[in-house]
Amino acid sequence: MNKHQGKAAGFIKAFLWIYCSFIVFILGYITYNSLRPKSQILSNTFGKPTGLSFDNYKKLIIDDKFFRYFGNSAIILIASLVLLILLSSLTAYGIARYKFKMKKFVRIFFLIGLMFPVQLGIVPIFLIMSKLGLINNMASVILISGTNVSMPVFMLSNFFAGLPKEMQEAAQIDGAGEWTIFQKIMMPLAKPVVMAVCITVSVQIWNQFFIPLIFIQSDKLKTIPLLVTKYTNNLMSSINLALAISVLSTIPILIIFIFFSNKIIDGVMAGAVKG
Amino acid sequence: MNWIKKRPYLLFLTPGIILYSIFVIYPIFAAANISLYKWNGIGKRVFVGINNYIELFTNQDLFNQMTNALKNSFLIFALTVIFVIPIQIIMAYIIYSKARGKSFFQAAIFSPQFIATPIIVFIFTLIFDGNIGLFNKLLEVAGFGHLAKPWLGIPKMGIYIVWGMISWAGVGVGMIYFLGAMKMIAFEEMESAYLEGAGFWKRLFYIVLPNIKMTALNLVLISYIIGMTIFDYSYILGGISGGIKGSVDVMSLFFYRMAFGDSNPLGGVISDNSIGMGTTIACVLFFMVFIVSMVQILIVYRKEEE
Repeated sequence: MNKHQGKAAGFIKAFLWIYCSFIVFILGYITYNSLRPKSQILSNTFGKPTGLSFDNYKKLIIDDKFFRYFGNSAIILIASLVLLILLSSLTAYGIARYKFKMKKFVRIFFLIGLMFPVQLGIVPIFLIMSKLGLINNMASVILISGTNVSMPVFMLSNFFAGLPKEMQEAAQIDGAGEWTIFQKIMMPLAKPVVMAVCITVSVQIWNQFFIPLIFIQSDKLKTIPLLVTKYTNNLMSSINLALAISVLSTIPILIIFIFFSNKIIDGVMAGAVKG
Repeated sequence: MNWIKKRPYLLFLTPGIILYSIFVIYPIFAAANISLYKWNGIGKRVFVGINNYIELFTNQDLFNQMTNALKNSFLIFALTVIFVIPIQIIMAYIIYSKARGKSFFQAAIFSPQFIATPIIVFIFTLIFDGNIGLFNKLLEVAGFGHLAKPWLGIPKMGIYIVWGMISWAGVGVGMIYFLGAMKMIAFEEMESAYLEGAGFWKRLFYIVLPNIKMTALNLVLISYIIGMTIFDYSYILGGISGGIKGSVDVMSLFFYRMAFGDSNPLGGVISDNSIGMGTTIACVLFFMVFIVSMVQILIVYRKEEE
């Protein structure tokens, strides 16, 4: 079925090769430039490479404490994920495996958040957080990212609903309590879906900009994307650091992605087909 | 205890319902309430009814800012539907038809999704900057040096550049959605069409497209919501004022500027009503997303019922 696709298809394929190669090229270009001193990048952009070194990285990691920002991003990511998976798997299981009066309403209730990006309610959330004393505290970012459960609840409840009823009944006959069934039998089965959720959500949480921008002011608590803007806001004085941080925060993730790309893309697809 | 034992689902549902209500559902309603007050978040709240809405639509300056931001948001949406979605379909179809290098295409096209927005803006700077940009260098090498421009500094280009960034970063996700939908098509259907002599493009039009039309509709709705709520790119590229003369201003940024902008150029009326007017804009935005979202909820829900 692959042959005889005509000239147009050939043209598009050629274009795709160029486009995709360009993406790889630009990543290489950034990596290359991140090894050059600032003066070279700005005044001799396309000239011969001289004085390649890891100085920019040294400055970023030692002087500007890159790993503190990395740590903040990691804490927010992990805590948000734990909260999100805990809440959404419990909720999804409750919705999918039990019969009760308001079931339909509860399903739609949890779908609502899918439609409304967090910006819309940010002022009231800001007021809640300031009442709780969580402004300029990572907990506020974690609470917001970890309670945005619509998508995970949707994916997980579809999964749980598809499991045969007999499993639950058999375990009940064996004397297992509700909690044991959930924890020992259902959750292990849901691992692939949980993984798919984690992957899609992690990217969003790791790269999120708006929420940390509003809730975190002190440098000690800032995340990587906020640090990036500090450099990119003034390229004349810190383009070298902007390059170094772009490489350091992007290339490792892309390498992980390339290794697991089929799995990750299948996960995204699974979420999409159901959505 | 017995009451709970008879309703074990409550144990599972309660934590989710409580936290989700506080941080996702309640703020939507609270915003609607706050928009009826004149308030800056610190001082006294004064109930003003729908005055904030009246002011937003009658104050010439605010109204101009809003229509400009809306125009930009709609432009992003329209460009995405007209250009990006067809491109996503074609990319997905090429990968679906097992073209050589499909894994490479898939990974490369999807990869910008993993790059944080400030870095995407920075990458565009490296390409389109007037002095150090690759694009101008390319023009020069190709002999079109006289066309070289500081692309990012042209206000008229601003919103197209924002759109370009959104598209570059997001094109892979929609492509994967389409690919997923295409993989659901029965193999026999494609095969029999092939045997009947339907060519590569005919199969796309007569078999693939009808099968992915729900995904396409879904992506149109998602693009609308993204267009209305996009914030990062405009903020990073144009700052809080949304670029020169609001060239990259969008609805979310307009909202942010009113609610949280401390360097408010308008002063006076707005600054002691920052939160009131901010939530009013959020509610207008909310309403615009709401209408379209209802359509989406209905579609998802109907699919569920099937």
